[in-house]
Amino acid sequence: MASRAPEFSPAVPALTAERAVTWPKRTRARLANGLEVVLAEAHSIPKFHGELYFRAGNALVSDRSTGLAEMTATLVRTGTAKRTSRQIEEDLRRLGADLGSSSGQDTSAIGFAGLSEFSEPLLQLVNELAREASFPDNEFERERRQKLEEVKLERTSPGFLASERLRKILYGAHPYALVSPSEAQVAAYKRDDLQTVYREIYTPENALLMLVGDFDPQTMLKTIEKTFGTWSGRKPAPKEFPAPPKLQGRRVYLVHNPGSVQTQILIGCHAITRKHPDWIKLGLTNSLYGGAFNSRLVMNIREDKGYTYSPRSSVHPLRQHGYFSVSAAVRNDVVAASLTEIFYEIDKLRSVPVPDTELADAQNYLTGVFSMGLATQEGLLSQFSTVELNELPADYLETYRDKVRAVASADLMAAARKYFDSANMQIVVVGDRAQIEEQAALFGNPEIFDNQGNRLAS
Amino acid sequence: MSSLQIPIEHSTLKNGLRVIIAPDATAPVVTVGVYYKIGFRLEPQGRSGFAHLFEHMMFQGSENAPKMQHIKLINSSGGVLNGSTMYDVTNYYEAVPSNGLERVLWLEADRMRALKVDDENLRNQRDVVKEEVRVNVLNQPYGGFPWLDMPPVAFRNWANAHNFYGDFHDLDAANLADVQTFFKTYYVPNNAVLLMLGDVTPKDGFAFAEKYFGSIPAGAAPPFADPTEPPQSEERRGRVEEKFGTLPAMAVAYVMPARRTPDWYAMALLDQALHGGRAGRAHRELVLEKQIAVEAEGGIDDIFGYNGPAQMTTRILHKPEYSDVATLAAFDAILREVQQNGIPEDELQHLKVKWRSDYYSTLEGGRGGYMPRYGLMHLLACFTLFDNDPSLVNTILDGFLAVKREDIQRVAKKYLVPENRAIVFRAPVNSGVKEAA
Repeated sequence: MASRAPEFSPAVPALTAERAVTWPKRTRARLANGLEVVLAEAHSIPKFHGELYFRAGNALVSDRSTGLAEMTATLVRTGTAKRTSRQIEEDLRRLGADLGSSSGQDTSAIGFAGLSEFSEPLLQLVNELAREASFPDNEFERERRQKLEEVKLERTSPGFLASERLRKILYGAHPYALVSPSEAQVAAYKRDDLQTVYREIYTPENALLMLVGDFDPQTMLKTIEKTFGTWSGRKPAPKEFPAPPKLQGRRVYLVHNPGSVQTQILIGCHAITRKHPDWIKLGLTNSLYGGAFNSRLVMNIREDKGYTYSPRSSVHPLRQHGYFSVSAAVRNDVVAASLTEIFYEIDKLRSVPVPDTELADAQNYLTGVFSMGLATQEGLLSQFSTVELNELPADYLETYRDKVRAVASADLMAAARKYFDSANMQIVVVGDRAQIEEQAALFGNPEIFDNQGNRLAS
Repeated sequence: MSSLQIPIEHSTLKNGLRVIIAPDATAPVVTVGVYYKIGFRLEPQGRSGFAHLFEHMMFQGSENAPKMQHIKLINSSGGVLNGSTMYDVTNYYEAVPSNGLERVLWLEADRMRALKVDDENLRNQRDVVKEEVRVNVLNQPYGGFPWLDMPPVAFRNWANAHNFYGDFHDLDAANLADVQTFFKTYYVPNNAVLLMLGDVTPKDGFAFAEKYFGSIPAGAAPPFADPTEPPQSEERRGRVEEKFGTLPAMAVAYVMPARRTPDWYAMALLDQALHGGRAGRAHRELVLEKQIAVEAEGGIDDIFGYNGPAQMTTRILHKPEYSDVATLAAFDAILREVQQNGIPEDELQHLKVKWRSDYYSTLEGGRGGYMPRYGLMHLLACFTLFDNDPSLVNTILDGFLAVKREDIQRVAKKYLVPENRAIVFRAPVNSGVKEAA
């Protein structure tokens, strides 16, 4: 590690020798029905955490309606051939367990955690939800009514309005453009459609069961075989989706949210997936730009200028097409000033080399934070899931830190030039039109929408 | 029944700083926390929001680590850091690869010894805090509901009733003299606890504590205002306008019994019976069965982390076709059922299993996925500062597991009464679709 005496007071203690970072061994198996299993021991508490993943989600069925896989996941916990909704919830409590079922664009999942002493009955319940969900009529009606209120309510959240607009711009006809259904779509959901999605997606050949916790892997594997072994079903056929649009030039989009006392800024451009060879370079570049507290963006628009509380940049690794974004909720009178600084820091990374000391700081940050997940069952599960779901190399976790340390300053500039696409960045601002339109227009002629997604006259 | 015992060692330095170490070398990561026994409840009158603004100032510079360096020092050591202001404590915490432990301790000691901030730092953080209030409260649907709406309705003592995030004119009035006075009064070693959890041996940990914190002078014992509430004789109600959201909402809150009394343990399990997820009676009745509400959640916020008046609160968002009166009547029926019949023995047993399971997760759990052992740190700190007994972390579970059916019914009758409750209605200004201006 390079010495950084000039940067800090001489009184600052040096870092001592690093302890090795060792990831727990994973036990892998594939049952005869195709179910993949990954197990790892972690004895921090007498519990275990698990995910039953299915490698398909809303995108696969988006030609039928938006959010269908998510609605299917909601219904999965509301009844099986053997248990009513109420029994399922009370059984979970009896086992000291928590359970959630959800669906994203690329993955559906039943996630759970419970006491090790009750691992068998909990896995039995998960098995029932995955195989024998019965989609009771009354439960379906209630959840649909509930969803209708939710989709109305989310249109009052500035963060939702911003990301909804950006995703539409970045993804066009690709299903990733659609983050949430309309009221009309929810009203038209049919119970039969959900059951069809369930039969297609919830199959062992399409599934991955991951467990981390206080158990013996060999015993656990036997329990899994006994519980899930008789399940059968093929994986759904993959689908081709339209390519995202090629975006030329900076464009500005203003979502008018009357009465806003702050403006949500969200800018973005296309980037890459986790499988891409540049992923780690881009991750490090993002961390240094706006992904950490100590990053340039936070230091500039928060710690120096006080424009915002929580600015951040992110790389979003969707399975097929990733994107890069920068977000900040700022005072209404500094919308233009904030955008100027956001672009200044982007353009600086594209044109001026990052000093080696700053690179070393960012490398230390990323490699250090990477180890934090080792301390909890949930942290381990999340790291293992990333590897498996993205089909990354088996030694990804073990080699990650070395790969981060091998990145050079020139790599950061190359990544910024390629993926922080300043000239073609798409700019979304959500706020009160009268207070911010003039500032937004400094960056391009804004297209204006209301908070229901309708285009308004400019 | 398996029982989890956390190894802990503790000691007190000559200046009164208490030091707690919970060693566990499984992962090469250590979590460090410094807790000060002062939160927003007892901040100075006329300075609402000051305890939180002050927490921000603790990142702005100390004697040997000027502005920007606190954050840089931790991040560049591979760690993460943050702070938070609560009712009765304020914490500062870091998680780092264990080779950065001494560096973290040096930093925490430097800012306990001498805060070095100027007017420009204060102006900057005042602006940041205002944007924090806007993004979390003023510009969000149901922002601050009910944690900021409830206190002025429920309580009469300013300590419990004021705006904890701060009125903007109070934030504007805060000056550097306030900052230094607050620091000298409350941020003294004898009003704090230092915690190290994870990859550290007690021997090293105590030696480092002495090396970096031992020479910080003790201060006078801080004065604390009395947070006691005058007796309440009738139900209290208030109304707040909802600017963005589309559904009518209400929050119903009951004042809790004193900590670590038999009634308190019983209320905790009653809370689980009412608010324990989708099996909880509030959600089950109002959302799943009667389908009046879209949301009916709540409970006792941070049950181990407060040291003054606190409430058990239910937050309900209901469908517009049900009136406030009808919704409240349905909620009251749930409480009446427990008062009249108690809860079945098997339900109580299941609640205890879930409570135990949740408690384990609290001890292991992180914050935001990257702050290992936040929960253990928080409990150890609060048990030390409020009860002077960190070992409660290994025994307090027994109190909850000893609760009986008759205890639940007794506390339901005693505490779930009008003269112990407050209700806030949050009514939408608009019913949904808004036209462009």
